[in-house]
Amino acid sequence: MGGKVTCTLGEVKNRGDFIIYWGGNPAECHPRHFTKYALMPKSKFLPNGRKDRTVVLVDIRPTKSAKAADIFLQVRPGKDFELITILRAMIKDQKISAEAVAETGVTLEQCTDLVARMKKAKFGCVFFGMGLSMTRGKHMNSAALLTLAAEMNAFTKFVAMPMRGHGNVTGADVVMRWQTGYPFGITFNRGYPRYNPGEFSTVDVLVRGDADAAFIIGADPGATMPQPAIDHLARIPTIVLDPHITHTSKLSRVHITTAVAGISAPGTAYRMDEIPLPLKPALKSPYPTDEEVVRRIKESIAKKPFWMPDGAQMIAAQV
Amino acid sequence: MSKIILRLKEQPTVPLEAEVLSPDTFADLSNDEIRSKIVYHGKRQRRVDDFFDVEGERSDDLELHGNLHRVRWIGRGMSRGRITVHGSVGMHLGAYMKGGEIEVHGNASDWIGAEMRRGLIRVHGNGGGQIGAGYRGSLKGMRNGTIIVDGSAGLEVGMRMRRGTIVIGGPAKDFTGLQMKGGTIVLLSGAEIRTGAWMIRGTIISLVPLQILPTFSYACQYTPDFLKVYSRQLQQLGITLPCDPADGAYELYSGDASVPGKGEVLVWNSA
Amino acid sequence: MLRITGGKVYDPANGIDGEVRELCVSDGKFVSAVESGRTIDATGMIVFPGGVDVHTHVAGGAINFARAMTPEDHRRTQAFIRSQTRRSGLGGMAPTTFATGYLYAGMGWTTVNEAAVPVLSARHTHEELGDIPIVDKSTLVLMANNEIVLDLLENGEYERAKNIVAWYIWAAKSYGVKAVNPGGVAAWKWGKDAKQLTSSIEGYSKLTPGDIILQLARICDDLGLPHPMHLHCNNLGAPGNISTTLDTLQHLEGHRAHIAHSQYHAYGGDDWDEMRSETAQLAEYFNTHPNITTDAGAVLFGDTVTITADGPWQHLLYKLTGRKWGNLDIENETGCGIVPYTYRPSNLVNAIQWSVGLELLLLIKNPWQVFLSTDHPNGGCFWRYPEIIQLLMCADFRKECLKKLPDKIKQRITLPEIVREYTLYEIATAMSAGPARALGLHQKGNLGVGCDADVVIYEHDDDVARMFGHPRYVIKGGEVVIEEGEIRATPDGREFIIKPHYDPGTEQFLQPLFEDCYTMAFENYPVEMERLENPDIRDCVPNL
Ligand SMILES: [Zn+2]
Repeated sequence: MGGKVTCTLGEVKNRGDFIIYWGGNPAECHPRHFTKYALMPKSKFLPNGRKDRTVVLVDIRPTKSAKAADIFLQVRPGKDFELITILRAMIKDQKISAEAVAETGVTLEQCTDLVARMKKAKFGCVFFGMGLSMTRGKHMNSAALLTLAAEMNAFTKFVAMPMRGHGNVTGADVVMRWQTGYPFGITFNRGYPRYNPGEFSTVDVLVRGDADAAFIIGADPGATMPQPAIDHLARIPTIVLDPHITHTSKLSRVHITTAVAGISAPGTAYRMDEIPLPLKPALKSPYPTDEEVVRRIKESIAKKPFWMPDGAQMIAAQV
Repeated sequence: MSKIILRLKEQPTVPLEAEVLSPDTFADLSNDEIRSKIVYHGKRQRRVDDFFDVEGERSDDLELHGNLHRVRWIGRGMSRGRITVHGSVGMHLGAYMKGGEIEVHGNASDWIGAEMRRGLIRVHGNGGGQIGAGYRGSLKGMRNGTIIVDGSAGLEVGMRMRRGTIVIGGPAKDFTGLQMKGGTIVLLSGAEIRTGAWMIRGTIISLVPLQILPTFSYACQYTPDFLKVYSRQLQQLGITLPCDPADGAYELYSGDASVPGKGEVLVWNSA
Repeated sequence: MLRITGGKVYDPANGIDGEVRELCVSDGKFVSAVESGRTIDATGMIVFPGGVDVHTHVAGGAINFARAMTPEDHRRTQAFIRSQTRRSGLGGMAPTTFATGYLYAGMGWTTVNEAAVPVLSARHTHEELGDIPIVDKSTLVLMANNEIVLDLLENGEYERAKNIVAWYIWAAKSYGVKAVNPGGVAAWKWGKDAKQLTSSIEGYSKLTPGDIILQLARICDDLGLPHPMHLHCNNLGAPGNISTTLDTLQHLEGHRAHIAHSQYHAYGGDDWDEMRSETAQLAEYFNTHPNITTDAGAVLFGDTVTITADGPWQHLLYKLTGRKWGNLDIENETGCGIVPYTYRPSNLVNAIQWSVGLELLLLIKNPWQVFLSTDHPNGGCFWRYPEIIQLLMCADFRKECLKKLPDKIKQRITLPEIVREYTLYEIATAMSAGPARALGLHQKGNLGVGCDADVVIYEHDDDVARMFGHPRYVIKGGEVVIEEGEIRATPDGREFIIKPHYDPGTEQFLQPLFEDCYTMAFENYPVEMERLENPDIRDCVPNL
């Protein structure tokens, strides 16, 4: 079934001698990634830094990052899943016809060469950009890369890691997991967490019009979500907590200005590799923190009659 | 035995979770007891009769009327009896079903017959995604039983299914038969892309040409014997599979080599 | 204030074996008498000190990774419904934080030791521990594959290494030192393992796993940590590993140590087909060496998820099962692997493992030396401990269970010949007083005056598993938290930490090394005291 084989960024810095960037443009989107972690650093195991590493970029067009790579593979748009699946077959010595491979925009020779290099690496790492999971195939494209990396461990050390966007997305994911068991796409309507991406993920709930209120913290769906979702947000009572005026705050009924996390509000942020970093505020803000606002709203709600009827404390088995 | 008839009288404003709408729950209940059963309207616990007019009692034959597109989990885990729906239904129709029959004269949403073990589900309109699939993280999708959707279907039809049959009348979207482990999917009008991706075993039959993944390889022309038996069974459900060599033959592709798997994709090529 | 009267008290720390005694509680501690307050009439009931789990995995990056990997289990398992005073949660193989507190307290356990914390993500572990209600907590930091420490040991710089270990413990706000597969996890970062105690480790010229074990045990002793080195031996789970385990124990001669989950380290035979129990040899060692304690790491049949810092073992398990696999390597320090697993009675290897865990609990004579654990969630989930208690207390029940195992097993195990049955006094020792003493938590597992008022009260029931699974009352810090199967209160627990002494120049020495191999700013690395909810600093008694 594959799985997820990953590491912290320091492992890449110290050991990664074979780096693949797939569907991302770190040179422009994560400018410090090359210098801090993946390309330039020298270490005990890679004393010559960049010279000791091989860097591959796979993307649909040659971006600025291509210049930094030793090998650039231009995959045809929408063919990432096919190309990764071909590589999964090839590492297991399965024969794939040259014509079938060529449909992906990459040649059989290029694939053969890539597979040989991957197997020869001492410590391989695949970083994949959000571009990959936003295109057709979505979560299956990332699943394909994670599986490829996991399967490579039959030959050598190999890991994979998503290049998460900005904001503390990883932190939300981590906290939801320890409190509910699930990373996102969760409903509490029965008094305990249930999970089904596609059913309970925010964008799907809004597009279908399944919600009759929205409470948004530190995100701007009004700028990123499809129009039907935005229309629904405008239709229902939407409350936004944000330091700034955003697309979402403009269509909301209530906008509470809060302090900027990390600059004037303390806390913990999780890096893309799930390493927790302390946020140490440098400035004082006249505005309350998100946490304080949520706490006060919660206290007010607690004064109202409780919405759940008395009943069992526990369900012994859900299915 | 008489029927229990439920008519939607008030359209839910948010999804209504109503797994109580099942022959197993209602079979021994009086009309009053049925009316008082709990359904979940968003986070509120409400009674069945807040949303439905209820006629009849003590029966495992249920008839539902109305636009139930927001009503989820109808027939969840049912093991016997019948549910007939005149109208469309929401997600998870017949999920975890163990027996009995469901027939929908209308559309159904995602997760029809997810992880079902036995029984028959027939949807005359369109279906959603993940038909007969395994829920996220599950190792297995449907274990057995039959799902027939006359119209179109969404993504990931039959994902990780282990056994049983799924027939899709209209076109299906991407990833039909994803990580399939056994069973049969019949596509009367084909599917979009990545059909059979990562399949381990099992059979996908398409009556129209398919886009084949690069990790599948062409084996031969082939009309297996089991197909004749199969076609006879499907005939009873009103579905015709061509299997006369005079009419044409099936092109067999095997894969997915990325696993590597021994799945079969059969594409009908009429003479 | 609270009084518990009429109950039969089992308090091994004070040698009390089933005497009817009165317990009085004031301000969360036992006192000799109270004036007023509630009285619990425990007449005819059995009174134990609250359970103490010496080795479990309930918080931090690894278990949280396991949660992400097992939605199929969350979906079927028990669910706790929220109320105005209680959070919701899910039980199962990798329970959520709030549920972890409810489940432990629900069966009378009031203190847990999270046994594997990477310093780099200790902040995360503490945040999770803050969300585990009711129980008190302690943590151990992973040290045996820390490359800075290993480099120093390779160069024979013992004093420096000792200072740095002390610094790391305080940076992590932790309670002790855990050593997992010494050298093996570091080697795994190159896809290798370290199986021989006396062979040098991949990437080092002379350092061996044996050196790491000995030096770390010495460091723990010299720093005077309340809990000795907590060791997960090399070669976990492999047939024939008994020789490695005995070798390890010989390296430890003259030192204190706690051997984690010894069930996984007591196998004979050269391969999976030949695998057999070697518990007699291992138990004999424990029986003659009171300086060493252990926990069983018992296996129960059923579904679980295995999670350990032992990356190479997890990759092997993934290859054996073909199921899901998660792996997370952590820069400079450690790694972890996650594989869902089902132990089946029909599987010969699993059946031997089941037997080995019980054999160790039964063959090691002194219950102050061997403690109840499943290495949660590795051998089974902690909320199944009452099943193990039943197996220990009822020889007939064991016989029934043995009948369900493959015939071939007879020559591979010794369990059928063992007639010992644990008494209630021995159970109270192995589940509470013993682990509390091994952890150096002297106010735990003890019903004496001045100790923490953590009590569990059972109503006598011939069905032992039911009795231990459903206590009538659980009292934590003097507060009734469970009563008649219901959660009555969910107070926050405390976190025990230590501040071992280190040379003031340690940071200056460490900083350049740190900046070489880590990717975090040095000043951001130590966890600030404010990040802990209810920290309680315990004393170290260093050897000077
Ligand atoms: Zn452990």
